[in-house]
Amino acid sequence: MRVVRIDADRELALCEADEAGERATVEIALVQPVADGDRLLVHAGTAIAHDRSEVPAWR
Amino acid sequence: MAMKYMDEFRDAELGRALAGKILGAVEPGRHYKLMEVCGGHTHSIYKYGIDDLLPENVELVHGPGCPVCVIPMGRVDDGIAMATQNDIIFTCFGDMMRVPGSERTLTEAKAEGADIRMVYSPLDALRLAKENPDRQVVFFAIGFETTAPSTALTLKRARAEGVGNFTCMCNHVTIVPPLRALLDSPDLRLDGFIGPGHVSTVVGCRPFEFIPKDYGRPVVVAGFEPLDILHAIRMILAQLGEGRCEVENQYSRVVPYDGNPAALKVMSEVFELRPHFEWRGLGFISQSALKLSEAYAELDAEKRFGVPGVRVADPKACQCGEVLKGVIKPYECKVFGTACTPEHAIGTCMVSPEGACAAYYNYGRFAREKELV
Repeated sequence: MRVVRIDADRELALCEADEAGERATVEIALVQPVADGDRLLVHAGTAIAHDRSEVPAWR
Repeated sequence: MAMKYMDEFRDAELGRALAGKILGAVEPGRHYKLMEVCGGHTHSIYKYGIDDLLPENVELVHGPGCPVCVIPMGRVDDGIAMATQNDIIFTCFGDMMRVPGSERTLTEAKAEGADIRMVYSPLDALRLAKENPDRQVVFFAIGFETTAPSTALTLKRARAEGVGNFTCMCNHVTIVPPLRALLDSPDLRLDGFIGPGHVSTVVGCRPFEFIPKDYGRPVVVAGFEPLDILHAIRMILAQLGEGRCEVENQYSRVVPYDGNPAALKVMSEVFELRPHFEWRGLGFISQSALKLSEAYAELDAEKRFGVPGVRVADPKACQCGEVLKGVIKPYECKVFGTACTPEHAIGTCMVSPEGACAAYYNYGRFAREKELV
């Protein structure tokens, strides 16, 4: 999901799904630092990793 | 911009090129049996027809990495027993609501009057607790190390915010003990593993090093797009062809080799290992599941409300255990696609989209029919 807006005090972010475009509130405490536009891997409402998909491994 | 990357991970031309390289890497006459550990991989393999792109002598078998599939009937019954107590709002993920207990599912218990609600995250359950201060809200937590950090963070948040009516019935499981159990099983001969991509974002790749070290089998941690999986298969075959045996990380764009230290830290604060836990089809496995630590005991729903804790045998017709161990293919189960379908599941593997039986059923794999590359 892509980070749209960050609530730094509560360590939450509004994120948007890549394909469906749906938005959800996501816990970002485990992947700090996070910036607007970052892509995150989210499971059960919590971001668990940054997604750096611009680098396919087979290149 | 994101779609550009997504398209690239699903590019048919690149897929055919990788399939060609896989074909070139196999030794004629040798049979390769590779296990994809994670249910997400199983789903992608059949959704994208990856199986059809592989040579006849490369066989994929499906591992125990679907969190819904491994929950035993007794735990479903325990959940229903808790959910039917007065004043409890019982929350769980959507797939879990359709998992059969010994007599009924959570969905059926809801239809009979229990207040059972589907949530997308533990944070949703915590929100329900805040909105209903006069009710007790229980979150039925399932999942591997991928989902456990989310539960742990929510429990920390509940305590920090003083939400006294929120508790968790913890069914989180860990991935390494069942893999070791499978590797010790005489039923199964495997040549390599497609490692679980999402679990590895949390635990990293290091916990899988015992597989090459102790069992002499390569592991490649992989992403979930079709080209990720093809690439991982090629990497495993390359290791086998070159006589190497190690853990490699195909999913490096998401998985750090050492995992997510913040997630591991919060898990270690909130959870501790259970001495034993029952897995559907695999039986009791030592230190393979999590419970709330003593420090968080007041948020443990099992301690607050109690559960019957009765062990229930799987239905005789159901062969989920053999499917979960990779011993049989889903279509070899006696009830696959007849008595057991996604609409009326007998076994857990037919419930979740990540279950091997559901993947085979949904994508029309009723027998082994392969097109030659």
